[in-house]
Amino acid sequence: MKELFVLVGFAEIVLVIFMQWQYYLKKIIVTFAISSLLIGLLLFVQGGLQNNTSLIVLAALTLLVRFFFIPYYMLSHLEKVYKEKNPKQVVSTGTSIVVSLLLVILAYVIYRLTLYRYISVEAGSIPIAIILQGIFLVISRNNAFVQLIGYMIMENSLFFMAGYMFPDLPFIVEAGILLDLLGLVMISGVVMKLREDSVSEVVDEFDEFRG
Amino acid sequence: MLYLLSVVQLIFVVVFAPLVVGVFSKLCEIFESKQGPSIFQPYYDLYKLFRKQSVVPQVASPMFQIVPYVTFAMYLFLTLVLPIITGFPLSFGPVVDFIGGGLIFGAIAGLKKLAAIDSRNNYSHLGVSRASSIGALSEPILVLIFITFGVITHTNNPYVVNNVLQTSTSWYLSLVHWFVVFAFFMALIVETGKLPIESHTSNEFGMIDQAIEMEYSGRELALMKWGGYIKQFLLMSVFLNDFIFPFFVPMKVSLVAVLLYSLIHLVKLFVLVLIFATIQSTISKYKLFKNFEYVAVAFSFAFLAIVVFYATGGRL
Repeated sequence: MKELFVLVGFAEIVLVIFMQWQYYLKKIIVTFAISSLLIGLLLFVQGGLQNNTSLIVLAALTLLVRFFFIPYYMLSHLEKVYKEKNPKQVVSTGTSIVVSLLLVILAYVIYRLTLYRYISVEAGSIPIAIILQGIFLVISRNNAFVQLIGYMIMENSLFFMAGYMFPDLPFIVEAGILLDLLGLVMISGVVMKLREDSVSEVVDEFDEFRG
Repeated sequence: MLYLLSVVQLIFVVVFAPLVVGVFSKLCEIFESKQGPSIFQPYYDLYKLFRKQSVVPQVASPMFQIVPYVTFAMYLFLTLVLPIITGFPLSFGPVVDFIGGGLIFGAIAGLKKLAAIDSRNNYSHLGVSRASSIGALSEPILVLIFITFGVITHTNNPYVVNNVLQTSTSWYLSLVHWFVVFAFFMALIVETGKLPIESHTSNEFGMIDQAIEMEYSGRELALMKWGGYIKQFLLMSVFLNDFIFPFFVPMKVSLVAVLLYSLIHLVKLFVLVLIFATIQSTISKYKLFKNFEYVAVAFSFAFLAIVVFYATGGRL
């Protein structure tokens, strides 16, 4: 199981780097769907091996909501032109990839100096690294969709961490996060639609969230 | 026996290097639904060029003419020290390790660039500038890869790396190894001038290495081209034998085994060439400045290999 955890964990790190590399929103959304699929499958295997119903339900929710519904919803709200459009970037692509890597190292150092003493899971720094990468994705792009995806990557990594390292964590907390997220995306979609109807010249740019 | 095998390896590389390029060109044309040139076209080109008269720029120094001979000799030396058709060191094997081989490749690139600058051709200068910019970023990838191999095998000897990967299934299947494989594959595309990094067309937009030999003609151009074919052959062989598929390489001294493996090695090379041709035919060229992002991703893989090693306590 540890091997699978490490494999999925580093695949997630690589997928986030891939997202940093991409200019097209469609590719970023599809990459997010793939990363959710991997986490859903990991939770499913973990739940099956431990005979833990909560994890299996969580896996099903992850696959249904994050792999299927949210990417589908976002893609359907993406105007054709935005499938091709380059989102604005605060930091250049090359620099953001290097910063992402440095965050992986930072997560490793932080984990080794703090949490590792108490839980001694060898590869426990991986979810922390993905959280940091998600935060960085949010701040490195000036585009609402990418910022939402960055936020969901953080949430995904929480599931990833909880599923492997703390499988006994009350299910309600995890499901609660999931529902929060679903609500957030739906509300964001409605807000975007409202902005599109009212101030089209601003929404045409799919401008960043401003607080 | 080792001297004999060294000669066999040298002849094998020198003779079959143009064939690999010919097969690659043919496959690319087939992908475009064209008949394409014969797979022996590079041999015909070399034959033609060797018979042609050389033209040297008036302003060039003697170094311009010497460099093709020196670099070709250095490529020949490299064929004697890398694991191409043997998994045991040949007579010159202990002379250099991965770092040493990398330094010789670097020295060849440096000499070519100096000669290109010496030609005073604007396009050559442009090529040197581009190759240097990308090379400055791609070299750290190779260094990181060699460090990772050093960590895995406690040496930088390519023969030992081959033996370790052949015999240790756990290392072969490890994530550390596969991150290194991806990183080297991406670096290989840069080093061999394939798409999406470089397109070999007649316009200057995509030129990198191609522009460096712009002023050469006749025998010197033939040697530069042949050297380029050998470089590609060597790098592909190292990728196959030390990275992605180190199996079947004979680890004991035996002429029959080596000759048999030579055929297997050609098959391995042609499969790799097919993969390259597929990439070449399906991916478009990046804008020049996007190449650096590509290199950054390759660097990420090499870097993550080391992170995996430490994050998993060096046991995966």
